[in-house]
Amino acid sequence: MLDSAMAALASLADPSLLLMLLIGTVAGLVMGLIPGLGGTGAVAILLPITFGMEPAQALALLIGALAVVHTSDTVSAVLLGAPGSASASVTMLDGYSMAKKGQAARAMTLAFLSSMAGGIIGAVGLTLAIPLARPLVLSFASPELFMLTVLGVALAAVLSRGNIIKGVSAGLLGLVLGMVGTSPTTAEERFTFGSLFLGDGLSLVAVALGVFGLAEIASRASQRKGQHSNITLGGGWLRGIREWASHWTQVIRGALIGIWAGVLPGVGATAGTWLAYGQAVATAKDKRQFGKGDPRGIVGPESANNSVEAGDLIPTLLFGIPGGVPSAMLLGMLLTYGIQPGPSIITDHLDLMYLIVWSFAIASVLGALFCFLSVKPLARLTKVPFAALAAGLVAIMLLGSFQEGGQLGDLWVMIILGAFGWLLKTTGFPRAPFLIGFVLAIPLERYYFLTDSLYDGLGWMARPGVLVFLAILVLPILWALVKWIRARRRTNLDDGHRDERPEDDESELKNSTWSLAAAGVFVVAFAAALIASTGFSPEARLVPQLVGAAGLIFSGILLGIEVRTALKARAARRTSPGWTPDAGFALKTFLWMTGFLALTAGFGYLIAVLVFIPAFLLVVARARTKVAVAYTLVLYVALLALPSLLPIDLPQGWLQTII
Amino acid sequence: MTMKSSLEPPGQIPGDVAPEPAEPPAPSRRTVITAVASFAALGAVTAVFGGRLLNPPSSTEDGDFSGETLEFLIPLASGGGTDTWARFIGTELVSRVPGRPGFAPVNEPGGEGISGTNRFARSAREDGTELLVGTASTVVPWVLGRSAVRYSFDDLQPIVVNGTGGVIYARTEAGVRGLEDLVGRSAPLEFGGISATGLDITTLVAFDLLEADVTSTFGFEGRGPVNLALQRGEIDIDYQTTSSYGPAVAGIAKEGKATVLMSFGQLDDAGQVVRDPNFPDVPTVPEAYEQLHGAQPAGEKYEAYKTLLGLTYTYQKSLWVPKGAPARAVDLLRSSCAQLGADKGFQEKAAKVLGGYPLVADPGMPARVRDAYSVSSSVRAYISELLAAKYNIHVE
Repeated sequence: MLDSAMAALASLADPSLLLMLLIGTVAGLVMGLIPGLGGTGAVAILLPITFGMEPAQALALLIGALAVVHTSDTVSAVLLGAPGSASASVTMLDGYSMAKKGQAARAMTLAFLSSMAGGIIGAVGLTLAIPLARPLVLSFASPELFMLTVLGVALAAVLSRGNIIKGVSAGLLGLVLGMVGTSPTTAEERFTFGSLFLGDGLSLVAVALGVFGLAEIASRASQRKGQHSNITLGGGWLRGIREWASHWTQVIRGALIGIWAGVLPGVGATAGTWLAYGQAVATAKDKRQFGKGDPRGIVGPESANNSVEAGDLIPTLLFGIPGGVPSAMLLGMLLTYGIQPGPSIITDHLDLMYLIVWSFAIASVLGALFCFLSVKPLARLTKVPFAALAAGLVAIMLLGSFQEGGQLGDLWVMIILGAFGWLLKTTGFPRAPFLIGFVLAIPLERYYFLTDSLYDGLGWMARPGVLVFLAILVLPILWALVKWIRARRRTNLDDGHRDERPEDDESELKNSTWSLAAAGVFVVAFAAALIASTGFSPEARLVPQLVGAAGLIFSGILLGIEVRTALKARAARRTSPGWTPDAGFALKTFLWMTGFLALTAGFGYLIAVLVFIPAFLLVVARARTKVAVAYTLVLYVALLALPSLLPIDLPQGWLQTII
Repeated sequence: MTMKSSLEPPGQIPGDVAPEPAEPPAPSRRTVITAVASFAALGAVTAVFGGRLLNPPSSTEDGDFSGETLEFLIPLASGGGTDTWARFIGTELVSRVPGRPGFAPVNEPGGEGISGTNRFARSAREDGTELLVGTASTVVPWVLGRSAVRYSFDDLQPIVVNGTGGVIYARTEAGVRGLEDLVGRSAPLEFGGISATGLDITTLVAFDLLEADVTSTFGFEGRGPVNLALQRGEIDIDYQTTSSYGPAVAGIAKEGKATVLMSFGQLDDAGQVVRDPNFPDVPTVPEAYEQLHGAQPAGEKYEAYKTLLGLTYTYQKSLWVPKGAPARAVDLLRSSCAQLGADKGFQEKAAKVLGGYPLVADPGMPARVRDAYSVSSSVRAYISELLAAKYNIHVE
């Protein structure tokens, strides 16, 4: 075993192999930087190049790219609040808050180091998992997978930062949204209103980029000046490394959760990364800083989202069951070389297995190193006025999100959810539970039904794995209860931080007409879901109705609270903020985006960009004419060259179909 | 309540701030209009002329495809089996087509393959440069007559077809040692499925034909997870296609944990079910029927089985062009595919991707495919009835 491992390492000294690894790594980093492309884009661009290569070279190329996309997708999440991928939205919570305090370099240093460690631990895990994978995967039957999704949804409560009712409501609404499309059990269409487009469900990239990315742009597009605070590494490299090292347990825990989430088919990178974050929050003693720039909120998830890719390779190679699109493409590539995935791959192609492990580890280090070296120049981006960045970001994010399904409908969904995300953000609803709910909706329902129909009665509740999950779910609640009772007995005891409502500096419109309206939107949405679901078959109806009813109860309570606050405010003759300048600006920004998309639909993406970018730069960002012209010309040239360089399609408009 | 000014960068550290530059002035309306209008004009020019320059009118009837690009419309997401197949075939094919055209695979996922195929039927170029990739996901809804389907394979011309096969196997521990354990059971076998209206339909019809004692649970994510569920003992009976037989079934069958029961078989040129060349020792579904019931299968159930076998296995993966495509272009593409399929080097390279089944583009192919793709109304009626009666699914 050791012999093959060393032989594989020695083979990597071959310059052509090393070169492939390097090219793969760079391509992966670049694709990770562009919001919406990620691993799928990286493998898609490299795959055609591999036809005709030796299998070892092709593998080095693809693994190099896969290993690092989650290293660089952090950059736009931290600097701009626009996650490069759905799983980078996790890092955004704390990373972006840190960057807003002028500590972008600190956040990125932590993130890159964690990505590197996650990649290395993932590679080690991949090696160790080879003999363990089969029992591990086989021990996770439908009941355990069901409990895992329940645990994920329960994270919504943990991540709701002081307002459990809002968090749970958002999580439930995410679940409803996730159920749009084909039902996993009966293959009937739900909430699609006969539309084939909705039949596939909403695109995760569009939802994540809308709720987090576009919402962020809308709330900051009014900034016509850059951030002028000095960006420093805060004491140099060493301090960054030292701070990171002090969180080593989080790094390891994150990586292990990532591998585990990757190994289990059906969990996925986004859910795995959220689980790592939830774990960090749940086990932390002092939770006050989470979401406001807590290093633990960066370290764990970053480590996890890289190790997920390694974990994902385990079922791909050993069972031929890919966990995501990138690994599915990798699987396809292996087949073209006549390499049959399956348990026998360990005996037949052990050298290639170790080549994968080494490539993954080396690429992780290289990727982190490249990113690390570019921290300083990248951090300067925050000095550029956000309004000027916003123009390009809108164009890039819409283009990125278009790549997944090639449908303009995804982009409309993205803008609508962007406006909704802005409303959530500004009225103090946590958005993380919303996204978790969206991601887990179908797995939750799928494994519930499989458990229900494959096991008699409630016997599955006694399975050891299920009991462990039940303990994880119930014990913290009991513990909190005990603490609460003790605290009541000894009133002056400092019982942690439960009583301290975290000051939410982002939610300017909390307790205003806006949050009242938001609560109203929730109630209406749940009621509509309940009504619409009456038309489904009994099997397809069960889960949506349960979720809808629970949502109606929670959002009803919320509406009650909001109404009471509003009445109190009126009695005290306090004027609640109604139409604030920020709200006006956000609305205007969404109108700009809508206009951009309408232009795209009419005349195609290229013309839309050429109209939108200069207009937005001049009118909204008030950039100098010279800057606006140069900015637009650069984008124009890039868009002309892009489709032949990268696997990118520009959306075509109505005009192109008639000429 | 004090509002934070929106113009102030949030979270700045006080004392660290240099004197703020003043808010930049708004540019004059004339500047804006001039800039935007010039760029719009630039865009329009690029869109009109760029498009013409990049896509000159094609000439595919002149005996070669030089200067053309073969566009493959793959109606599914990238990364799946169909996508891998199409990209591999496309890459190899273009070097055999006279004039060496370029190759552009285009994924247009949506509606489980229906959206992209609808689009092809509506607006594909008819010059033979745009090809549709057909697969079971788009064929089954067409057979079922789903209302979302706006295409018909009757309106398309096949260029090449490539089959696949599959085997049905069961968990030994569930008390299955051979075919005879399929019937007269004390407890029915549990079949794990994805969706009754997908590729599973062929297996369901086979069970119905054999009168096997099987109940079904749908909702699995894919065939891989079903295989794992069988290994865990959650389900008892499953099928896998030829390409996954190696990784998923061969090992557990050797260990004695699973029993291979039958293969779906293949349709021969006369439309009869014969043994699958990849599973020469495994009885086919009609052979299994004979063994269980002592007579040759016949009747509407068997007709339906044969139809589905052709559509979802023997002629499963396919390339199509619109009906209006010029005959010379079609012939050229077919002969190039036939050449490719006959090439020894290609066969070796393609063994795994094609799953051990040849590329078929011989002169008799269009007629056979036409037969296989003509589904009688009695077969359609039987399938709808089976779905409604046994699985409570009413195809809309």
